Amino acid sequence: MKSRSKEPIRVGMLFSDTGVTSVIEGSERRATKLAAEEINQAGGINGRELQLVSYDPESRPARFQALAEKLILEDGVHLILGCYMSSTRKAVVPVVEKFNALLLYPTLYEGFEYSRNVFYTGAAPNQNSVQLAEFMLRRFGSRVLMVGSDYIYPYESNRIMSDLILERGGEKVAEVYLPLDAQWEDFLAIAKKIKSSDPDFIFSTVVGDGTALLHRAYAKVGLDPARMPIASLTTCEAEIQQMGADIAEGHITSAPYFQSVANPLNERCVAAYKQRFGDDQVTNQCWEAAYFQTHLLADAMRRVDSDSVADVLRVLPGSEFAAPQGRVRIDEHNHHCYLRPRIGRVNAGGQFDILEEARQWVRPDPYLVSHTLQDWSARVRLQEQP
Amino acid sequence: MKNNTGTPRLLRELRSLSVVVFHPEDQDGQELIGQLQRIGCQVKAFWPPLDKLPDAVDLVFLAVRPEVLSIDLPWLRREASPPVIAVVTYENPVIVEAVLKLNAYGVIASPVKSFGLLTSMVVAVNQSENAKERAKYVVRLEQRLAGQRKIAKAKAILMQSRNITEEDAYNLIRNRAMTKRVTTEEIADAVIKANEILGLGTRD
Repeated sequence: MKSRSKEPIRVGMLFSDTGVTSVIEGSERRATKLAAEEINQAGGINGRELQLVSYDPESRPARFQALAEKLILEDGVHLILGCYMSSTRKAVVPVVEKFNALLLYPTLYEGFEYSRNVFYTGAAPNQNSVQLAEFMLRRFGSRVLMVGSDYIYPYESNRIMSDLILERGGEKVAEVYLPLDAQWEDFLAIAKKIKSSDPDFIFSTVVGDGTALLHRAYAKVGLDPARMPIASLTTCEAEIQQMGADIAEGHITSAPYFQSVANPLNERCVAAYKQRFGDDQVTNQCWEAAYFQTHLLADAMRRVDSDSVADVLRVLPGSEFAAPQGRVRIDEHNHHCYLRPRIGRVNAGGQFDILEEARQWVRPDPYLVSHTLQDWSARVRLQEQP
Repeated sequence: MKNNTGTPRLLRELRSLSVVVFHPEDQDGQELIGQLQRIGCQVKAFWPPLDKLPDAVDLVFLAVRPEVLSIDLPWLRREASPPVIAVVTYENPVIVEAVLKLNAYGVIASPVKSFGLLTSMVVAVNQSENAKERAKYVVRLEQRLAGQRKIAKAKAILMQSRNITEEDAYNLIRNRAMTKRVTTEEIADAVIKANEILGLGTRD
């Protein structure tokens, strides 16, 4: 499919405009658009314009699956950027495998997956969970209460966290799951349970609109983030903006990227994003992965001067990009990314103060069953910021 | 299904598994090796299958191909044999029969996919461990059963020769066993032997 023509290259995009995770997926969509516009301003793919074909999958797995098929069969697109929840990725993976298409997935997830047709640019558990557990146990203690949304990612994340806590002789005070569409009363009941059981910290794998409800309920019952914070892998700038900085302040998140990462490249990206989409916009870890994976894909297509899956697959594994978080790299063997773990605490401005960060990128290890704190600290030390 | 005991041992030990793959070096073979390495196992690959397994193998993948049907693999079906997962390309009765003869603990189909491999492995190792435990348990039960038969026979001899009740006969055996610090089975054995030699209890 090497083409001498100047016809546009079409790439599919599946991020939800509606449904429970539309806020965070909206930021992934805008990041993809920003990257595509930058790519086109720089001459596209060797002169060919990069066009995004976008649909609204409504945060529903069945819709994601149907739209992935539509992209491939009706729009003739074989490269797809998208998905947030694991349930939606799992719905799309069989489709891209069946038609030999590619999915680039810009979201942290629970690991234990590899497909030659998928690239995973968000954090694997060895790049966020282990660091979060180590930090929380060291700073706050080892009695944890876990609350999550009722789907696969929270279950697996809690398994990892449980192992790490048990390893330290810690205690799991409770492990509670709420439906994705749980209401205020449900979260209020959880907050009361937190207050009465008085853990050292809360590990939250609540995603989507529930995140704001959990924080609001936490504030409502009068809990103090300085003493007993909510630790999360998913609560990022987008969710904080949705709930308001006043109720997010003091809580902890582990992620490879925060908007507050201080380097000139990130500052330029954030400024460009605000200029394009409005001053009120914030970036976040999923935004960043969506942004850099679009550039990684464009670089790969330029190198092979083609948008065929076979050609792109030859060069995408092992490729690197100077991303806002720092340099990232796609692992040749497992298609996940080398990323830079960081621990951030929400400040009064709704941004993260970065408390610690990895000295170097951490190799992705999506099939790691037994994470141990010792192992990890031997490999990478989170560095205290001056 | 949730428990509070942490991740199951077999899953935690996945990375210490030593896996041997008997598969040609083709795309399926590469895919299989690649996924085993992603999972983090210790992998060795050979083709054709070896007569002798390397030391301390926990799991074997074996490509069941028409050309290996006639090969005799001496390490198969031994008591201490590691579990075998068959990799099948055909599903005809000849191949299915070959898989049964292997006593396979799992089957994966060609083309080999990364998805599902980990579960097959854990299930195979688990079933094999269970089977080995069961085999040991059966041996113990058989021994105990044989012992019970001996004790019953010895009791009958004592009851007849000394004209005592069954309970007294048993107490006699047990007291002797305790004094001599041996098992009741051994005392029963001695009683039976003595009876055979001296003809005790064979008055009629």
